[in-house]
Amino acid sequence: MKKIMQFLMLSCKKAVALIDKKAEVKLKMKEKYMLIMHTAMCDVCSAYQKQSRLIDRILHAHIDSNNEVNFPVIENKELQKQIVSKL
Amino acid sequence: MEAENANATIKGWVELYSDQLYTWAYYKTSNKETAEDLVQETFFAAVNSFRKFEGKSDPKTWLHSILKNKIADYFRKSYRNSENNTVSIHEFFDDNQDWILNERPQNWETADEQHLLDNTAFSIILANCISKLPVQWNASLVLKYIEEKESVVVCQELQISPTNYWQMLHRAKLQLRKCLELNWFKK
Repeated sequence: MKKIMQFLMLSCKKAVALIDKKAEVKLKMKEKYMLIMHTAMCDVCSAYQKQSRLIDRILHAHIDSNNEVNFPVIENKELQKQIVSKL
Repeated sequence: MEAENANATIKGWVELYSDQLYTWAYYKTSNKETAEDLVQETFFAAVNSFRKFEGKSDPKTWLHSILKNKIADYFRKSYRNSENNTVSIHEFFDDNQDWILNERPQNWETADEQHLLDNTAFSIILANCISKLPVQWNASLVLKYIEEKESVVVCQELQISPTNYWQMLHRAKLQLRKCLELNWFKK
């Protein structure tokens, strides 16, 4: 049993890498189980997991133009004039 | 005649939308000149493909989608033109691969996610944190979200392996997370 546990044990560094890997590619079975075990026991990595997913959702909304993020509009009259003069 | 019509219409759009487009481009690229160039190119492209527009959609949406392509092009170029080996990697883990004590993620109070997304001050901090990332990480992150493409497609465009790609995004996220924690969530 101890041997199996060691076999399935992940370091925090590898665990958080798997958390972000999971967002991009499919994990192998073994990686999946190792990650579930690790986050069940490790509060720090499980906090990272939550925050990494939150960041994903935030970036999604922030970078995609269809969602209008409310930046304070920066006026640039010079640019306006320049474009109009070149049209 | 038709060309004149296009020009007149688009001149009107410049007045209506150029500030918004510029603001958006500025917060994506963090560079005044780059943002100005991209917005200018957007309007030139609009003149050239005015026929395709035909009032089918909202002009603002149409211009936004042109600008979006321009920004993606810009990041693809900046990715290719930058050297990867100049990046110094911040260390979050010790020799035992455990979290270094003061690098450990703290608990965040994120009561209302929608509120966070609507918050102007937060958006500016996020844009700053993204722009502080090394060039290639910044580019790979923006490209992932801006065109909503599958990772596989982005990998092909940047000519990197899926493994390199997720590892780069991972490093970018570690750094971004830390930056957001320091500048927003810890306060």
